[in-house]
Amino acid sequence: MATTTIIKKHEPSIGKRLRRKEDPRLITGTATYVEDLQMPGMHYAMVVRSPHGAANIKSIDTSAAAAMPGVAAIFTGKDILHIAGVPCGASLPGLRVPDHKILAQDRVYFVGHPVAVVVATDKYVARDAADAIEVDYDVLQAVADPEKALAPGAPAVHPQWPDNTAFTFHQEGGDIEKAFKEADVIVKERIVSQRLIPSAMEPRGVVASWHAAEKSLTLYTSTQVPHLVRTLIAQMLGIDENRVRVVAPEVGGGFGSKLNVYAEEALMSFVSMKIGKPVKWIESRRENFLTTIHGRGHVDYYEVAAKKDGTILGIKVKLIQDLGSYHQLLTPAIPTLSVLMLPGLYRSKNMSADIIGVFTNCVPTDAYRGAGRPEATHGIERMVDILAAELKMDPAEIRLKNFIRNEEFPFPTATGLIYDTGDYAAPLRKALETVNYTELRKEQAEARKQGRLMGIGICTYGEICAMGPSPATPAGGWESATVKIEPSGKVTVMTGVSPHGQGEETTFSQIAADALGIDVEDILVQHGDTAIVQYGIGTFGSRATAVGGAALHFALQEIITKIKKFGAMLLETEDITYSDGQCTCNKTGKSISIKEIAGAAYRAMKLPANTEPGLVATYFWEPPNFTFPFGAHIMVSEVEKETGNISIKRYVAIDDCGNVLNPLIVDGQVHGGVAQGLGQALWEQAVYDDNGQLVTGEFTDYTMPRAHMMPWIESGHTVTPTPVNPLGVKGVGEAGTIGASPAAVNSVVDALSPLGVRHIDMPMTPEKIWKLVNGRNA
Amino acid sequence: MQDPTVLASCMPGCESLEETAPDEYRMKMKMALASLSGAFDGHVRIVDRNPPTGFKLIVEGKGKLGFMKGEGLLTFSPSNAGTDVAYEGDVQIGGTMAAVGQRLIDGTAKMMIKKFFEKLAS
Repeated sequence: MATTTIIKKHEPSIGKRLRRKEDPRLITGTATYVEDLQMPGMHYAMVVRSPHGAANIKSIDTSAAAAMPGVAAIFTGKDILHIAGVPCGASLPGLRVPDHKILAQDRVYFVGHPVAVVVATDKYVARDAADAIEVDYDVLQAVADPEKALAPGAPAVHPQWPDNTAFTFHQEGGDIEKAFKEADVIVKERIVSQRLIPSAMEPRGVVASWHAAEKSLTLYTSTQVPHLVRTLIAQMLGIDENRVRVVAPEVGGGFGSKLNVYAEEALMSFVSMKIGKPVKWIESRRENFLTTIHGRGHVDYYEVAAKKDGTILGIKVKLIQDLGSYHQLLTPAIPTLSVLMLPGLYRSKNMSADIIGVFTNCVPTDAYRGAGRPEATHGIERMVDILAAELKMDPAEIRLKNFIRNEEFPFPTATGLIYDTGDYAAPLRKALETVNYTELRKEQAEARKQGRLMGIGICTYGEICAMGPSPATPAGGWESATVKIEPSGKVTVMTGVSPHGQGEETTFSQIAADALGIDVEDILVQHGDTAIVQYGIGTFGSRATAVGGAALHFALQEIITKIKKFGAMLLETEDITYSDGQCTCNKTGKSISIKEIAGAAYRAMKLPANTEPGLVATYFWEPPNFTFPFGAHIMVSEVEKETGNISIKRYVAIDDCGNVLNPLIVDGQVHGGVAQGLGQALWEQAVYDDNGQLVTGEFTDYTMPRAHMMPWIESGHTVTPTPVNPLGVKGVGEAGTIGASPAAVNSVVDALSPLGVRHIDMPMTPEKIWKLVNGRNA
Repeated sequence: MQDPTVLASCMPGCESLEETAPDEYRMKMKMALASLSGAFDGHVRIVDRNPPTGFKLIVEGKGKLGFMKGEGLLTFSPSNAGTDVAYEGDVQIGGTMAAVGQRLIDGTAKMMIKKFFEKLAS
């Protein structure tokens, strides 16, 4: 049976710029999204939503809609009382959690609040019927601004809590009083991280199909966390979890907005159970703006204490988080991540933070690319620049002075984290070299002489990635992987993470191909279907590769052990090596391929001692810590006085995400992240008016970055592998977003500093900049 | 000036205006706002009648596009050519109209008011 077939030497794929396996189907439009699903008997749902920020519902008249031909059913708040509310997974001491019913009861709390659902045989009929439903509202005073909501006499979002405060949270480390007493200088600033609309290319969508005979539910939903959705939807509806199958088909982006369980997921499941037909609901873009979570929404008051020489002694912040009207899955937890990130890359161990979580008559905020960390980094990196300006120090020099030193790792922070590893000066020095910093400053001095407004903005950021150790996360922070070597020798990898644009079908194929010594093309990565894949946590917090990839690594180790047992049996020797997809006898050089071994393992004519037939291994890996990537971004800008337009002359991103499995994918993540960070810095802002109406309700009023608005991004890396996982990878999904907004604002403030400008809140629209340059109030 | 048929014929998009009570009217109108257009159902009330110097109009309407609520104060003063009509008002809008067309409202409202007075004058 053993043969000596020559198998070509396996070339390692890790580290190569492999094109993504998932791209052809995405580029050619042949991928299957929720909207593409069709089923016999399918019905279509439309949700009737509140046009008011706050109102009592006096009555709902569904008679005209119900009489329309094709309308199958209409449900309102009174029909769903038995369904548990939309869950909040975060817990904080004293947290006030409003009952978040999937349809409004007697009151609506934000524009877009679901009030009724119409189901019809045709989606256009459903749309017309939704318009025919008459809801009589008694309009109440709304409050949409978190600081106004905290003012005495503000309208109460939830009447039972007139102070609009969902929670307060205090954390401190070191001796903050002493730090401020010993300070030569204290700088203070109010820094806003405005509300943003995540705007995934694919809005949300749900197809729910109840199978009465099997008492089982299949739920197709555009989500980042199919297993969590299964557990929570089963709980909400009171169905056994093992009778719920959740499928995330192709998911067109999430950025955290699909790290959630939404009312519509439970609502469509309920409707399908009621009418006994599959039900489809696809969110419109306008609904996406109004009802999918928003991100950020901070007003932060910072104080930094320092010595004359620039040594940072302590950081204080009061952080006001606009929560919106309800808690979605992680809403109140997001600002606590900001607090964890507060020390940044700096040595100071004195820190004090107070969070006030505020209810407003707006859609809830929750995780959006970076989730709490961009807000904190923006604040810290602005404050470091403000301090440097105050002390007339160079912003690069002050950072180098305060960085945690290489020999201090693992470094316990003031917020209770342990930074795994770092070389913080390395990416900064590389970025400075890339832009030729010394020359650039001379060029800037020359430009200023000519009256031109040129700016150089530096951001050195840290991150909390690879979420995370289970004790530190609300739902478990481990991840799972299964490796199946099929009887033909082809390999199927099933991962508990549910990628939706991050390219893990490619990187996980690379991990498996290199471990098994076979071709990347021989590996299929499956994910996103709870009926196929073992329980997993999902994709968010830059965790998919750093935690899910590590789980895969260990599953591969187990399968290789088993392959070797079969190989040893078949080669009749214990002295074997596994490499390049074959077991080889070290003495005779005789070898046997993985394909032959797989055949033998399933045929099972003979089994090695204490070994079961088949070749399958599953591993659940619990990470011992987060990972802490870091980097330095530099943006060079010039402001046009006449128009207030900011032109980006150079954008340099040097990121250290540990080992790089696929540089093409890492670059893609950095580019996308930078685009979103610059989006916040320059253009994006969700604006509610005083009545709680979302003014920026469409792309005509909400400026998303587009390709032609992006600078050329010069990206590079330093490599400091993490000891936290065996791959040495740290995660890079959010890095660009975190680095970009402070680099951009620091750059423009630097450009306008000759005019006495010290801080600019985002977005830095041409109008705002023009007013600053031309001496009017911004 | 306060005759419903006159008012109805002057209001752009107004399809009907019928008196439901003294100084109260039911109104149906069509409105277009950039790419949005739709029917509004609402009522108009005349309050603070203060002849001959002015009166206040309260307009409330809702439709597929959302809702609007407006108050307008019209004041009349004699002038050389006849009577000057001045107006000031406040409009609140909500629903799709607010999300999509907030920035267009100003222009559209001015245009509609201009049309109203032009027709009234002619």
